[in-house]
Amino acid sequence: MGTTVRPGRIAVHIALVLYTILALGPILLILINAFKTRRAIFADPLGLPNGQTWTTIGFDRVFANSDFGLYFFNSLTVTVVSLVLIVLIGAMAAWALTEYKFPGNTLIGLYLAIGIMVPIRLGSVSILRMMVELNLVNTLTALILVYVAQGLPLAILILGEFIQQIPKDLRDAARCDGVSEYRIFASIILPLISPAIATVAVFTMVPVWNDLWFPLILAPGDGKQTITLGVQQFIGQYVTDWNAVLASLTLAIAPVLVLYLLFSRYLVRGLTAGAVK
Amino acid sequence: MTDLTASQIHSADAVPARSRFPVHIAVFLAPALAIYTLFSIYPLIDTIRLSLYTGDETGARSFVGLQNFQTLLSDSNWSGQFWNAFRNNLIFFLIHMVVQNGIGLGLAMLLSLPRLTGGSVYRTLIFLPTMLSVVIIGFIWQLILNPLWGIAPSLLKAVGLGSLFGPWLGQESTALLTVSLISVWQFVGIPMMLIYAALLNIPDDLLDAATVDGAGPFSVFWFVRLPLILPTLGVVSILTFVANFNAFDLIYAIKGALAGPNFSTDILGTFFYRTFFGFQLQVGSPTMGAAVATAMLIIILLGVLIYLFGVQRRLQRHTF
Amino acid sequence: MADVSLHGVAKSFGATEILRDINLSVEDGEFVVFVGPSGCGKSTLLRIIAGLETVSGGEIRIGSRRVNELPPADRKIAMVFQSYALYPHMNVYKNMAFGLKFAKTNKAEVDRRVRQAAEILKLTPLLDRKPRELSGGQRQRVAIGRAIVRNPSVFLFDEPLSNLDAALRVNTRLEIAKLHRDLGATMIYVTHDQVEAMTLASKIVVMNHGRIEQVGAPLELYRHPRNLFVAGFIGSPRMNFIKGQVLRLEGSNATIGFAGTEAIVNVRSGSLAAGDPVTVGIRPEHMEEGGAEATSLRGTIDAVEQLGESSYVYMRLASGDDVIVRAPGETDATPGGSYTAHVPPRALHVFDAAGVSVLAGRGEESDG
Repeated sequence: MGTTVRPGRIAVHIALVLYTILALGPILLILINAFKTRRAIFADPLGLPNGQTWTTIGFDRVFANSDFGLYFFNSLTVTVVSLVLIVLIGAMAAWALTEYKFPGNTLIGLYLAIGIMVPIRLGSVSILRMMVELNLVNTLTALILVYVAQGLPLAILILGEFIQQIPKDLRDAARCDGVSEYRIFASIILPLISPAIATVAVFTMVPVWNDLWFPLILAPGDGKQTITLGVQQFIGQYVTDWNAVLASLTLAIAPVLVLYLLFSRYLVRGLTAGAVK
Repeated sequence: MTDLTASQIHSADAVPARSRFPVHIAVFLAPALAIYTLFSIYPLIDTIRLSLYTGDETGARSFVGLQNFQTLLSDSNWSGQFWNAFRNNLIFFLIHMVVQNGIGLGLAMLLSLPRLTGGSVYRTLIFLPTMLSVVIIGFIWQLILNPLWGIAPSLLKAVGLGSLFGPWLGQESTALLTVSLISVWQFVGIPMMLIYAALLNIPDDLLDAATVDGAGPFSVFWFVRLPLILPTLGVVSILTFVANFNAFDLIYAIKGALAGPNFSTDILGTFFYRTFFGFQLQVGSPTMGAAVATAMLIIILLGVLIYLFGVQRRLQRHTF
Repeated sequence: MADVSLHGVAKSFGATEILRDINLSVEDGEFVVFVGPSGCGKSTLLRIIAGLETVSGGEIRIGSRRVNELPPADRKIAMVFQSYALYPHMNVYKNMAFGLKFAKTNKAEVDRRVRQAAEILKLTPLLDRKPRELSGGQRQRVAIGRAIVRNPSVFLFDEPLSNLDAALRVNTRLEIAKLHRDLGATMIYVTHDQVEAMTLASKIVVMNHGRIEQVGAPLELYRHPRNLFVAGFIGSPRMNFIKGQVLRLEGSNATIGFAGTEAIVNVRSGSLAAGDPVTVGIRPEHMEEGGAEATSLRGTIDAVEQLGESSYVYMRLASGDDVIVRAPGETDATPGGSYTAHVPPRALHVFDAAGVSVLAGRGEESDG
């Protein structure tokens, strides 16, 4: 039928373009106004910055009055370390659960499934108590531990389904050669699951990078703020300084935007592939 | 004699093989189970335990049974706030179900049209807001809707709807709806992607067969595509439910912990935060906080159980 | 009347031409099979007749009506898909009744037709089952049943047997043939399997690269392939092709030299000149062991396959050509030995440099 409905196609594109504008407009609005003078922000909010209106004063103020570089570094550390741990530890567990039949296998699977449905946030009262006792409040370690615990269940599910698709012959061939189970995992399974990492990344990295709750509770000060919390605190202080507010938002958006546009193909594919299951 | 030795050797060989502890399995599982149990399951259980205690200024705790819940549901200082937050949360959820999942379904339908040019570009761009932090999104919309800046009113004026504008985030009557729609705007990409993937999974032959059978585009959607994506719509609904009853960041970023004006945007997440950490004159209470968290846990578990046993079982997954 | 005719039908996706200048007429009640290698455009042509694809040019008529602009449902056709395309969420009954819902048929009539079709296809006990509870063969019958209830003028089949195992395929083939006899409807059937084409068709359309190579009755195509492609496509094992040359030409009698031997064949006048290169074709089943005297091929045996009822001898000629001989019954030939095959001149096919058959009295007749 496809090609018979040409006029309908134009309407479809109009609808999609309009929605795309609605989805991107607000973000673009912030980005273009971040580089304009205060007067231009109010006089002509939709205009692009030009020779007369261009300024980076907002960014200067952000860098002068806050530790943006540090926040960014904190976020990066927490996200990357969490992701690496989730993938590694998750792959080990997924491998054990899909490869070996042992009593309790299903039970452990169900036990892990709780974490997919029940948000770990609801345990915050105890988590905070525990972190106080462990002397981990205001450390990135506290955040990493919580995020790894939060990300593991779904990662194990996704990686398990992926490991199942790796031909069994490959492992059996290695076993016939007398390779140990640890070596099989490290040198056959780990390299082969790299395509699944994109999927795991969508589901674990993004929520970790963007989270406000746990940074607010577990590491709200001492220069351990993540970028999300840092922006939140900064804007709370400088509400009326439009240049600084817009600049800080732009600084928070830009890295995600660049990374997303670079890797969107993998991320989107990972999301739809994960959804098919 | 020879028979005996043979069987002895056999059994001697078999017993250790069976009882040998599979060390490698334990090694593979231990790190995941340890971290997950310690920082996810234990805190949840401990929170439930804490909800049965009360603490005084000295930090001493005493067991009070279900008294915290009684306070939460019937004490005039608490129950009004709790039910208000619950009701708002329900509205928040219903708006997501109708608007977010409705638009997501519509976009997915358009994107799954055969031989659509630029489909992946639309998909990528529409999904973009989902990748940003809720906090950032909250601030962006706060600026746009700010009457001081005047972007929203002037845009509305341009399309002839200028009179509609009001300080939507500041009015008690519109704040919750506005906050909900901002969240819808951000997360529309998720149902869109999930439904899109489900629609792609339906073989073209099936749609062709329906066309040959005389079904028009609407009938194809209603009688063939919709029934086949029902399981995905179920997954989308439960994901929306869990996410909405666990939401916090957006309200906190836009309206602060007090979820104003006059608690009109207060949902369970912000209520939990205030109870736990305190606000203004009220002192925070870990045990009451635990009780609120436990109540949220029960609500979410109820939703999940209704889905698992009431909905999911009736939705046959189709393999093609 | 439900004849189907195509006039100058063309189809392209962007710059890629899928079909060009297709002209074909299918008589009422005929069983026409489109056959060709994958990617030859046969399925696209079927989908164009169904109305699932538009044409880039040309006209389609069904029963004297121009149908180019009609949606599939109004073309009085029904289609059976390769994947069966059964609605997985509906039971067998609903699958068959689905199309009638849109034809505004009343309930009693729907019920009557569904039960009648179920009776014909032995599906009555399965009416309440969902497709996933059926075997491949049963699904196939439901797909056919769904077509029957629509009471179409033209049945369209898109490789309907390719998902069945070999035994079931033969059975279903026979059932489809019987269905055609019983219903007397026009059927158009797409397959890449030449055995299905030979056994089912009253008329075969051989397609290649988006063009019709030849149209004709099955045996006509077997006996008188118009070109190298049809000659190679119809018949199993494939026809042997050997390079040759026109040695002498006396009137319409050409002496062709090939693989160290020669034969006189009657060619169309003016089609060849002395010295022209040609391709000689001989079907494996048309050669016999021995016969050194007349036209014969001599070579070394590479391999022998004994099937009991016949044997295939694979040999390499001194000229370097590989030739298969199908000998009836068993053979004493063994690999490494030498083998001589007699070639009856009447069984020879000769094609010119462009691959077109030059034999007299052939080729022109099927131009219709």
